[in-house]
Amino acid sequence: METLCKYCGKTLSKDWIGLNKKLISKDIKKFACIDCLADDFDCTVDDLEIKIEEFKEEGCTLFL
Amino acid sequence: MIYADNAATTKLDIDAFEEMKPYMIEEYGNASQPYFFSKTPKTALRQARKDIADCIGADPDEIYFTSGGSESDNWAIKRQTTISSDIRCIITSNIEHHAVLRSVESEKKYNHARVFYLSSNENGLINPEDLRNLLEHLREGVSFREPVLVSVMMVNNEIGTIQPIAELAEITKKYGAIFHTDAVQAVGHIPTDVKRLGVSMLSASAHKFNGPKGIGFLYSVEGLDNLIDGGKQEKGHRAGTENIAAIVGMAAALKKNCIQIEKNMRHIKNIENVLLDRLYRSSLDFKRNGTNHLPGNISLSFLDADGEMLMHRLDLKRICVSTGAACDSVNTQVSHVIKAIGLPDRYAKGTIRISLGKNNTEEEALMIADAIIDILKEVGSL
Repeated sequence: METLCKYCGKTLSKDWIGLNKKLISKDIKKFACIDCLADDFDCTVDDLEIKIEEFKEEGCTLFL
Repeated sequence: MIYADNAATTKLDIDAFEEMKPYMIEEYGNASQPYFFSKTPKTALRQARKDIADCIGADPDEIYFTSGGSESDNWAIKRQTTISSDIRCIITSNIEHHAVLRSVESEKKYNHARVFYLSSNENGLINPEDLRNLLEHLREGVSFREPVLVSVMMVNNEIGTIQPIAELAEITKKYGAIFHTDAVQAVGHIPTDVKRLGVSMLSASAHKFNGPKGIGFLYSVEGLDNLIDGGKQEKGHRAGTENIAAIVGMAAALKKNCIQIEKNMRHIKNIENVLLDRLYRSSLDFKRNGTNHLPGNISLSFLDADGEMLMHRLDLKRICVSTGAACDSVNTQVSHVIKAIGLPDRYAKGTIRISLGKNNTEEEALMIADAIIDILKEVGSL
């Protein structure tokens, strides 16, 4: 599995990979870091961090 | 922000809020007390009950205030005196709200009720002939003398299908059974007259028709057992000091929506068409679920899409919608309604519900459609 951001090369955390899968597709193989993802989605990093917390609270195993 | 989840809850109407305010600050007297200070809240309570009854063609004595739709459904199913014996039958459908389905399951588990489920067709419609056949079967069988309660929702919350309630209620009556309808999605949105429908009981919730949260009502011409023991409120069946502000707000919101019902329906239908037209013109492969829809309730299933992903992506664009399928990271859990209508899996997993309300605009409808198209095209091109 690719562990570097497909745009900026930053090392990816498990949460960021989970976020890519949750917000794009479970089948993707290349991922973006949270900053590049926020750029892609035209939202703030805070918005995505809130999403990560929500997914964790729901018990989504992508974030365990 | 675009709010398009009006089947979940609605914005409190500003006029309803204004009518509520005096009962929160100045007129806070307990309506059950005999002194002068309680006269205004007591009068307001009486007037609100009358206004609500007028809106649905009922008698004020047939209106019982509750905390909302779920409580009304629970009360109708669990505390209906005519049928509260241990041996009884409950007939419901497989696309009801969980407030009905779980009440029925509870009656089965704790009170030995026999439960029968009517299956909806692929459009989410209950066939009245299925009900007739089932009641006929019960009449012919050993269970002839068992009291029967039939509970079928008026409008499905997930796909918006309006059921043939008058026909179902008429059949029910012919067999001496009692008919309850969960009309939470209907009241205040489409004309709802309990006498014309021929229902014995009807549940409603204020926050679904621009009233406040935490208040609703149960219409019942049948006897009800006590839900809460204590004081004399609600004819002694549901004790507890009345929330006058909420009751007044509910009555004001319902009255306003009922006065404007045709106008609101036309407006919502128009923006629904604008949204759907934009989507139909895109190359997206999707189905609209249900038929004979409540205006504004739009359940869409996109081929090979992920409904939960779409809902979250729309949320990041400050657009609020619901999903009919949620992922637990391994499997996608499709809702019981989407399962019941037999939608192919490839569509079912890509289900979202957009529910437009009277405050939505054409511009917002176009923005929602464009956002969906952009997201699904982007994901599809990866």
